[in-house]
Amino acid sequence: MFRSSQINAINILLLPLLLIISISIGAAAFHWSDVFSNSDTRSLLIYSRLPRSLAIILTGATLAVAGMVLQIVLRNRFLEPNMVGATQSAALGILLVSIWFPQATQLAKMSCASIVALLGMTLFLFLFRRLPPHRQMMIPLIGIIYGSIIEALVNFIGVETNTLQLLAVWFAGDFSAVLAGRYELLWLTGLMALVIYFLADRLTIAGLGQNISTSLGINYAQMMWISLITVAMITAIVVVTVGQIPFIGLVVPNIVSRLAGDRLRQNLPSVALMGANALLVCDIIGRIIDPPYEIPVSLIFGIVGTMIFLYLLFRKPTVHAT
Amino acid sequence: MFKSCWKPLALSILALSLLSACGEKNTQNSSASNTTASGAAVSGPTVSVNTARGEMNVPENPSKVVVFDMATLDDLQALKVPVTGAPKKVLVPYLQQTLETVNNTGTLFEPDMEALNALKPQLIIIAGRTAPKYDELAALAPTMDMTDSGQDLIGDGMKMLDTYGKLFKKEAEAKKLHDDIQNLLAETQQVAKGKGTGLILMVNAGKLSAFGPSSRFGWIHTQVGVPAADTNIPASPHGQSVSFEYVQKTNPDWIFVIDRTAAIGEEGKTAQAVLNNDLVRQSKAWKENHIVYLSSASYLAAGGVQQMKTDLTNIKAAFTH
Repeated sequence: MFRSSQINAINILLLPLLLIISISIGAAAFHWSDVFSNSDTRSLLIYSRLPRSLAIILTGATLAVAGMVLQIVLRNRFLEPNMVGATQSAALGILLVSIWFPQATQLAKMSCASIVALLGMTLFLFLFRRLPPHRQMMIPLIGIIYGSIIEALVNFIGVETNTLQLLAVWFAGDFSAVLAGRYELLWLTGLMALVIYFLADRLTIAGLGQNISTSLGINYAQMMWISLITVAMITAIVVVTVGQIPFIGLVVPNIVSRLAGDRLRQNLPSVALMGANALLVCDIIGRIIDPPYEIPVSLIFGIVGTMIFLYLLFRKPTVHAT
Repeated sequence: MFKSCWKPLALSILALSLLSACGEKNTQNSSASNTTASGAAVSGPTVSVNTARGEMNVPENPSKVVVFDMATLDDLQALKVPVTGAPKKVLVPYLQQTLETVNNTGTLFEPDMEALNALKPQLIIIAGRTAPKYDELAALAPTMDMTDSGQDLIGDGMKMLDTYGKLFKKEAEAKKLHDDIQNLLAETQQVAKGKGTGLILMVNAGKLSAFGPSSRFGWIHTQVGVPAADTNIPASPHGQSVSFEYVQKTNPDWIFVIDRTAAIGEEGKTAQAVLNNDLVRQSKAWKENHIVYLSSASYLAAGGVQQMKTDLTNIKAAFTH
């Protein structure tokens, strides 16, 4: 068993290293030695490289945190925004707003996506409440079916409105379009992650169920809504700005909890850091395989994430430390 | 308590999946029985045509034609050949008039077999998007697969035009259109000569893909003769995902834009907003205002008469300007 401080130490060391690699690579020529002497290099750094790397860090960190919150609050290890219909509903929201108001701003699209994502997750909760809680695998399975139904609806609307090609962009995430001025919404997800950090203990108690929460003086319904809203917003913002990135919210919290046990508040920084690092690695891989072209990061993470997920599934479950 | 709620849900999912399985089987049965009933045998005068599946004999000048290809529909509209059925829900503005008069036969990907049965077409013309359904359709009526090679859009487009001229006894009209496009192509090649390199970009919801000479938009390089700014782009049906930095680095003299967002906005407007950033603004193409927007028909009806004319005219105008 590792302590979360040890995991944090490794991740904190890795992060700046990966950040430097991430900034160094890309289609255009970039040399660190020119940053102060050459104004073109400097503007490339500020306009393209730094925003992209920051966007990856924010996305990786907050998606992992969103997955962890879902897992703690709904008490199921195999949940993430993809598996409760949040991502698919967010795409539905953007699609609808794009069809009705093509000129809408990113902020308007994000708001609409968040609201629809929230609706989608609330509907899933109604389903969830009726499922036997001890059948751990049943819930993600139903979640996958539920998400697929929404995705099918989105695709149907796409076919009917000739917007199928747009959907492909939101269902496959990559950071190739990130520039200064086109990713800043992602900072809001960072804000959401902070909110979660401050409420971590209360969310953990809410995860123990309504009766225990109430007797411990926690407003269960309020905590539930806060966690749903934060997860919906994180998901929606990521889908609007970069697209869907599967598995990160599933894999990272599971790795951390295997290594350091289930403690939301203590593990939160580890989860955020590991999420950021994992996504940085995958995006770097996507950029160096076939330069100057890019392999979408969702594809890379999909492959890596599936393998880790299968490993987690087939490994004998360890006894959870507290 | 939980169980009582769970069972009906599971049962209904099971029932639904069974139902959908049945549905599939039914359509298969009906198309199979039709083979024997109507038969795909051709009687009467025939004409030999070249298709993607080789030479075949089809009825000469058939009166009831169903078309599953927008380029073909474009050609037949230009040749004034009446069409009985086509997938109606396609957004190619200049085809709307023809589409209003035809019977709906499903979509390019999912032909409506019942509607086709009712229409009893004498000839079905399909291409790329409908090609996987060839066997089902061929069982119903003589079916021509006019999928192009993907390497020589304009050459294939003209061959297709000639084929339809022969098939529908409109040789004179087809020849005239053929010559028009030939001349337009020659003029475009003339004005494009020595004007620098080009890069073909598809803009889709804020993201970019690049297309090279061997792609389906490669005719700009291979036919019109604009040298590729990046000769290494591998062929891929959806292009290569690239960043804005790539555009700055490639630094083309001309950028040809396919606006995939056009379906939900004004053609070219959204793409323009996406490209308008510090990195693309550094390219020679942007500085010289050398951005050419291709028509949405260039991917929906590639190889049709009107599409070739529109895009060649636009490109020629951009180079002469």
